[in-house]
Amino acid sequence: MQLDFNFIMYALKELSKVIPFTLFLAFTPIILGFVIGLIVAFIRMSDLKIIKACANFYVSFYRGTPVIMHIFIIYFGFTNLAQEVLNVSLNGIPLYVFVLIALTLNAGAFLSEIIRSGILSVSKGQIEAAQSIGMTMSQTFRRIIFPQAIVAAIPNLTNICTAFLHATSIAFLISVTEITGTANIIAASNLKFLEAFIAAAVIYWVISILIEVLSAKIEKKVTKHIRSGVVQNT
Amino acid sequence: MIKLENIHKSFGKMDVLKGIDLEVNKGDIISILGPSGSGKTTLLRCINFLEKANEGTITIDNLSLNVKTAAKKDIIALRKKTAMVFQSYNLFQHKTVLQNITEGLLVVQKKPVKEAKEIALELLKKVGLEHKADAYPSELSGGQQQRVGIARALALNPEVILFDEPTSALDPELVGEVLDVIRKIAKSGITMIIVTHEMNFAREVSSRIVFMDGGVVLEEAEPQIIFNTPKHERTKQFLKRLTPELTFDI
Repeated sequence: MQLDFNFIMYALKELSKVIPFTLFLAFTPIILGFVIGLIVAFIRMSDLKIIKACANFYVSFYRGTPVIMHIFIIYFGFTNLAQEVLNVSLNGIPLYVFVLIALTLNAGAFLSEIIRSGILSVSKGQIEAAQSIGMTMSQTFRRIIFPQAIVAAIPNLTNICTAFLHATSIAFLISVTEITGTANIIAASNLKFLEAFIAAAVIYWVISILIEVLSAKIEKKVTKHIRSGVVQNT
Repeated sequence: MIKLENIHKSFGKMDVLKGIDLEVNKGDIISILGPSGSGKTTLLRCINFLEKANEGTITIDNLSLNVKTAAKKDIIALRKKTAMVFQSYNLFQHKTVLQNITEGLLVVQKKPVKEAKEIALELLKKVGLEHKADAYPSELSGGQQQRVGIARALALNPEVILFDEPTSALDPELVGEVLDVIRKIAKSGITMIIVTHEMNFAREVSSRIVFMDGGVVLEEAEPQIIFNTPKHERTKQFLKRLTPELTFDI
């Protein structure tokens, strides 16, 4: 077996052109999903029975099914529904929009659990202390719970970033030209599949490493307050 | 100025408070003593609605709330008249010592930053921790954390400070430094309700002792009377068991 290294370099160059687009596909859902996740986390921690049941169902479905299903169901579901019910063709909408919708809903489900776990990790005692001095629940959440919940959630959030970066590769199944999609195209037109996908893998890996490094830096900076130990001399 | 009337509290089928009446005047220092499970901590936590009593009326100054009908904003108004010192300190971990104290001043009392900082530093001096103003709670010993907790409570200048077993989580050597601080502020005339197991401290510092057992107040009187001539059998049993058999001369 001979690997065409020149082609790998060519592939790397071509694939790099779609890195910005791929990052956009990966991180927009995470940011939007964070807002959804926050709302859903609150609902799930509240006493609103019916809305809570809906939220539970949403989280269960989106965490319980593969991302491919979401992308297919959203794409084929929306386009068919629009055609048959509203008699509107969605052909004008770029394909990546459907991917964004699917990934955002997916992100919302996962992030709601991550946020909820972060919130629960803040000790009840601190919440009682805040309440005992007359802080409202909203003030307590904003100033005491949320800052600490986010810090606790950083490792989980890093996981999600990496996972979503990889999840974008599925978009090629509906002909979206992100990294994997582009790799597939140049592989097919040059018949060098192995080289193309090795290049794609390298790019995913390097971006993942950068995410890890950034996350470690952020984590180090925001956990200053809990990494120091007890001093011996008073 | 603090009045508890007919306080009942149950957790499920378990009746923890079976009709408590208590009156505390301004400047009083009340120690609530009693065996575990007597309801002391629950009673204390009912005062600032950290536990919601099932029945009764809680009055602080001119604010009187029926526990069954109290609205959220009334509860918050009541809490603003109180402050609590917790057994496990409950400092805000992500904030420095100084920020822990200014938090209430800035957020609840809406004081300007400069004034809040001045008040906080003054109180840190009072508890002997001004050199730790920029430290985080994780860098402090238990005794130091509790002293910050006390400063945090004092900063708000509440009508009453509630102490929930303030020294129970401290090792014996650190208990002293915290009791010293409490003694000091007791002299300043602030109303305090203390749940504690430190008998000698309670005897020394209190204007009145309240002895609870099984969800009711068994006896209530000045320290000399409770400790020297207790009326109830249960009180006698409890106090006798806690009198140290051995005394050390240092």
